[in-house]
Amino acid sequence: MDSKRLSRWSDRNLKYLLLAPTIVLLLMLTVYPLVFALAASLQTVSVRTGERSFVGLANFASIFSDGLFWNALGNTAVYTGVGVSVEFALGLAFALILSESFLGRGLFRTIFLAPMMLPPIVVAITFKVIYMQKYGVSNWLLGLIGIKGMLWESGPQTALFSLILVDIWEWTPFMLLILLAGLQSLPAEPYEAAKVDGASWLQAFRHVTFPLLTPAILIAVLLRLMDTLRIFDQVFVMTGGGPANSTETLSLYVYQAGFRFNNVGYATAMSFVLLVLTTVVSNVFISRLRAEEVFTQ
Amino acid sequence: MTSRLLRLAVLLVSALVVVFPIVWVVSTSIKTDVDIFSIPPILVPKAPTLSRYAELVTYGLFSYLLNSVIVSISTALATIALGTLAAYSLARFRLPGKWNARVSFWILSTRMFPPIITVIPLFQLMRVLGLVNTRLGLVIAYAAFNMPFVVWMMRGFFVEVPRDLEEVAMVDGCSRMHAFLRISLPLVVPGIVATAIFTVILSWQEFLFALILTQTSVSATLPILVSSQVTQYQILWGQMSAAGTITMAPVLVFAFLVQRYLVRGMSFGAVKG
Repeated sequence: MDSKRLSRWSDRNLKYLLLAPTIVLLLMLTVYPLVFALAASLQTVSVRTGERSFVGLANFASIFSDGLFWNALGNTAVYTGVGVSVEFALGLAFALILSESFLGRGLFRTIFLAPMMLPPIVVAITFKVIYMQKYGVSNWLLGLIGIKGMLWESGPQTALFSLILVDIWEWTPFMLLILLAGLQSLPAEPYEAAKVDGASWLQAFRHVTFPLLTPAILIAVLLRLMDTLRIFDQVFVMTGGGPANSTETLSLYVYQAGFRFNNVGYATAMSFVLLVLTTVVSNVFISRLRAEEVFTQ
Repeated sequence: MTSRLLRLAVLLVSALVVVFPIVWVVSTSIKTDVDIFSIPPILVPKAPTLSRYAELVTYGLFSYLLNSVIVSISTALATIALGTLAAYSLARFRLPGKWNARVSFWILSTRMFPPIITVIPLFQLMRVLGLVNTRLGLVIAYAAFNMPFVVWMMRGFFVEVPRDLEEVAMVDGCSRMHAFLRISLPLVVPGIVATAIFTVILSWQEFLFALILTQTSVSATLPILVSSQVTQYQILWGQMSAAGTITMAPVLVFAFLVQRYLVRGMSFGAVKG
C-alpha cells in the first residue's frame, strides 16, 4: 500500500481508530471485572484449601436471610432518601436566592461551592473533629443553647443521622451549582408573559420555573442518587459501619464481606444487588432525561 | 428592605456554616494536645505548633505526597491522551445507525457502576499481573474510572468547534488527521486543561481503590495517610487534621482554577454553565 492509499484508508477508518483504545481499556477494566464478578458470585472458595466450587445461586439465596444485608440496605435507603431530599430542597432554595443579582453574590457563590470540592476523606475527618466527644465544637454549641451533649457518630441512635448531616454539608453545594446554572439559562420571555397575565411569584415558580428547570433537576438528583447509593469513604473513616452496624451501608458491607471475611463469592453477589438497585433507580431518571433530550445532543 | 436584610442574614450564617469546619480543621492541625482538648474549644491556638506536620514527615508524608502527585498526573495524561481521541471521533463522525449515541451512552454507563463491584475483581487481576501495591496499578484503575468523564467533557468541547473550520482546511488539501491536529485540537486547549485539572482532582481524592490496591507507602496516596490516623485504639487528632489540611490545600487551589468549568465538570458536560 503506498502512502496515499494508506492515508485514504486511515481517513475512512479514523473514527474507529480513534475510539478503539478507549473502548478496549473500558472493556478490560470494567466489563471484564463485571463478568469476573458474576462468575465469582456463583462460586464459593474454601478458606482452608483455597478450592473453588460452583454453588449456583446459593450466594444470592443467602442474601435474603442475612439480617446484616437488610440492615445495610435499610441504612443505605435512609441515607440516600433523607440526604438527597434535604440537599435538593436546600440547594433549590439557595439557588433561587443566588439567581437574583445583588452585591457580593459572586463571593457567596464561591464560598458555598467549597465543601463539594473537598476530598470526601477530608470532610469525614473534619467532622470527626467537630463531633469529638466532650471537647468537640458541636456539643459545645449545643451546650450554649442548653442541650445536653450527644454522642453524634459514636451513638447507635445518632450515628446515621450524624453521617447524613455531613453529606448534606458536603453536597448541598452540588445541587446549588447545577440548579443555579439551570436557573440562569432560563429564557426571559415566559416570565414576562406570566407577569402580563398577573401571575404571583409562586404561580410563576410552579408553572414556569419548575417545568423549565426539570432537566437540571433530573441531572442533579440522578448524580447525587448514584453517589449516595454507593457511599463508602465517609462511612469507612467516620464510623467503620458502627456502632452496632447502625451506619453500615451496602458498599461497606460488601467491602467487609470481601476483604475482612474473605467471602468473595458472597461479597460479589451482594455487589450485584447494589448494581441492580443503582441501575433501576438511574434508569427512571435517564428515560426522563432522554424524553427531555438532554443526553442526545 | 427587611427582605434584603433577611437574605443577607441567611447568607452570612450559611457562609459561616460552610467555612467554619474547614477553618477548624486547619486550626486543629497546629494545636498542641492541651489546645485540642480545651473546654471551651478555642479557634486560635494558644501555642501554635508545626509538630503535627513534623510527625507526619517521620511517618513518610513525602512518599505519600509523591505517590499522589505521580498517580494523579499520570492518570490525567493517560486519560486525556486516549479520551480526547475518542471524544473527537464521537463528536465529529457518524457511526452507522444509532451507534454514536449507543457508544457514548455505554461509555457513560461504565461510570455508573458502583466501584465496589469492580474493585474486587480488579484486585485479583492486579494480583495476577503483580500490580498490587504499585503506582502503575493505581493509575490503570483510575484511568478506567476517569475515562467516561474525560470523553463526555471533551465531546462537549469538540461539538462546539464549528465543522466548517475543518472542512475549509480539508478543501485546501489537509488530511482529516491534520485538520484535527491543526484546527480543532488547538481550539479546545482550554477545555483540555480544565478536564485534566478535574481528572487530577478526582484521582487525588480517590479512596476506595487506593485502600484496596495499595498497602504501604510504596504506592499509597494521601487519603490513605489521612484515614490511617484513625486507628482501632485511638485517633491522632492533630496528625489527622494536619494530613487532611495537606490533602485539601492543592484541591482548593485547583478547584479555584477551574471555577469557570465547574458546572460542566460536575455534571459530565450535561449542563452547560
